[in-house]
Amino acid sequence: MKIDLVFLEVIKIKRFINDLKKYSSYALFSAKAELKAEVSSSYLNWIWWILEPICMMFIYIFVVEIVFRSKEPNFPVFVFIGITTWNYFDKMIMASVRLIKAKKNIITNVYLPKYILVLEKSFIYSFKAFISFGIILVLMILFKVKYTFYLLLFVPYFLLLYIITFGICCILMHFGTYIEDLNNVSTIMLKFLLYFSGIFYNIETKIPKPFNEILLKLNPIAFIINSFRKIFLYSQMADFLVLALWYIVGIAICYIGIKLVYKYEKNYIKVV
Amino acid sequence: MEELAIEVKNVSISYKTLKRISLKKTLFSFKKPKREEKKVLEDVSFNVKKGEIVGIIGKNGCGKSTLLRAIAGIISLDKGEIDLKNNNVSLLALRVGFNEDITGYDNIFLSGMLLGIDKNVIKERIDEIIEFSELKDDIYKQLKTYSSGMRLKLAFSISVVFETDIILIDEVLSVGDIKFKEKSYNKMKELIMDKDRTVLIVSHDLNTLSELCDRVIWLSDKKIKEMGETKKVIEDYRNYFAEEK
Repeated sequence: MKIDLVFLEVIKIKRFINDLKKYSSYALFSAKAELKAEVSSSYLNWIWWILEPICMMFIYIFVVEIVFRSKEPNFPVFVFIGITTWNYFDKMIMASVRLIKAKKNIITNVYLPKYILVLEKSFIYSFKAFISFGIILVLMILFKVKYTFYLLLFVPYFLLLYIITFGICCILMHFGTYIEDLNNVSTIMLKFLLYFSGIFYNIETKIPKPFNEILLKLNPIAFIINSFRKIFLYSQMADFLVLALWYIVGIAICYIGIKLVYKYEKNYIKVV
Repeated sequence: MEELAIEVKNVSISYKTLKRISLKKTLFSFKKPKREEKKVLEDVSFNVKKGEIVGIIGKNGCGKSTLLRAIAGIISLDKGEIDLKNNNVSLLALRVGFNEDITGYDNIFLSGMLLGIDKNVIKERIDEIIEFSELKDDIYKQLKTYSSGMRLKLAFSISVVFETDIILIDEVLSVGDIKFKEKSYNKMKELIMDKDRTVLIVSHDLNTLSELCDRVIWLSDKKIKEMGETKKVIEDYRNYFAEEK
């Protein structure tokens, strides 16, 4: 009995990998085409990808440094790391909640594993995030922050952000198809999370002990942003234990999300 | 015994438990929201031989399109089984994979890839599609600038050039203005008549069905009311409605 169950799981995972191979070129092409369309339909085209985070940065600098008179060394780089990470998470979530409805044309006419839709979105927003991280590297030169080998730790942390976001997006895409108001709920939840992720302040110093430690461990976004700052700005080692634990949680969320979507994806057509 | 291409066994489909819910309705109402149950197909079984052309007729909302979607594998079955014997299948409808913001050219790639066609094969055949669609340079414009006629032409061209073993046609035997209509109908006919290709056609155009189909299935009230030789089924169908009047 147990062996049977394991066997079934293996088949399912194989199917996931086969589908990934079969449809990843579609997701990549579609993502490229959408980025291309974004460029050609606006006046400042690709400049927006740089301009938007920079403008956000100035707003936060104004609010935090001038209105609240708070001090943080290399604040522009500091806040830019927060904005970049947050934007990726926020935009992925908001896109996923209504994804099935938005792709109605595809869903009603041809079969594709629905998590591929999330994959496509993740390509688009990862690309934008990479541009943004590129800007961070430039800002680091301007503010005379030294490049160190710690920068290599960017890879495992971004991968963690990617995995966690992907899993949550699959789950939200599933429920967003059935529950109309999930869009409003997630907008509010994201606003709430925004203030507890330390986008424009340092959780370690601004939140009293022991809550800062707890928040940094329990909120993955806060943890990832704080870790990015450690590796970009402070040349500090990462917290590998927490990293490993979040990897396990992230993979579990992905597993649940993809399984959920596989199980119900052929019902979505009945409600869109 | 001849080779089968499609085997539909005891298929039932309903839309019952899947009504969209809103949080307000579930949280703030004392009565439990009613679950609407709408059966679309009940215990439908039939076989289609390889190379056969089968028409499906019936009143609006009798489950014809749902049946095609089930065969295309995009809708879940409550009960039963559909076996396509490893044939690849395409649902010929007019909006496959269309993304408004990108160009017609890129949309051809997207549609092809969604049908599981290799990118290089699409590259080889793309000129043929563009030529058939008569869109010329407009193909490089964003889809949202297209008129509805242009969309139809593009969709149709994509569908007929990327051939699959089984083709499911939902009411789109021909499209466009008079000139294109004739051309598209002929192309469709050529496609359908290929002896290795299995075709299911849903249409209200009884004359065309009589001309094209080997067999016809009449769906009524969630079930197959009659299935058999084209001439006889269509005659019965006509008589049935004549009597109803």
